[in-house]
Amino acid sequence: MSGTEKAGSGTTKTPADFLKSIRGRPVVVKLNSGVDYRGILACLDGYMNIAMEQTEEYVNGQLKNKYGDAFIRGNNVLYISTSKRTLAEGA
Amino acid sequence: MANNPSQLLPSELIDRCIGSKIWVIMKGDKELVGTLRGFDVYANMVLEDVTEYEITAEGRRITKLDQILLNGNNIAILVPGGSPESE
Repeated sequence: MSGTEKAGSGTTKTPADFLKSIRGRPVVVKLNSGVDYRGILACLDGYMNIAMEQTEEYVNGQLKNKYGDAFIRGNNVLYISTSKRTLAEGA
Repeated sequence: MANNPSQLLPSELIDRCIGSKIWVIMKGDKELVGTLRGFDVYANMVLEDVTEYEITAEGRRITKLDQILLNGNNIAILVPGGSPESE
């Protein structure tokens, strides 16, 4: 992949760049199961293993658990997001 | 064969999509549309201004996300230009 700039898009941001930029910030981690974990990203690695603080577990949008610290094994991760808002539900 | 200009490698196709809308169809009942900012050899992708579409028992759930790192492991199809709905 090239590191060149595309017209009107700013610089390329690789996954490694993204991982560096979000450490210490609030994130939403969605697992393949559909469960969300929201908290402060303590640290992470190239496998997408994640350590989080002040973690909240959401199932179907509802708060189910709170954890002081949590470790998520990377193979379960669908995505890591910097913020989130659900718009609509329905057919 | 390799120097045939009409032949495009998959990675080159994705690279040409950087800065543009892309439609990502996952293995499960999930689709995402967003602006591609970057990717790696595993097809992990950084997407911006993302809309996530989820098929649930209640219907279709739509979630807006500012910026995400999407794990390439569950990607099934990539469609340059975004989904027809996002036009």
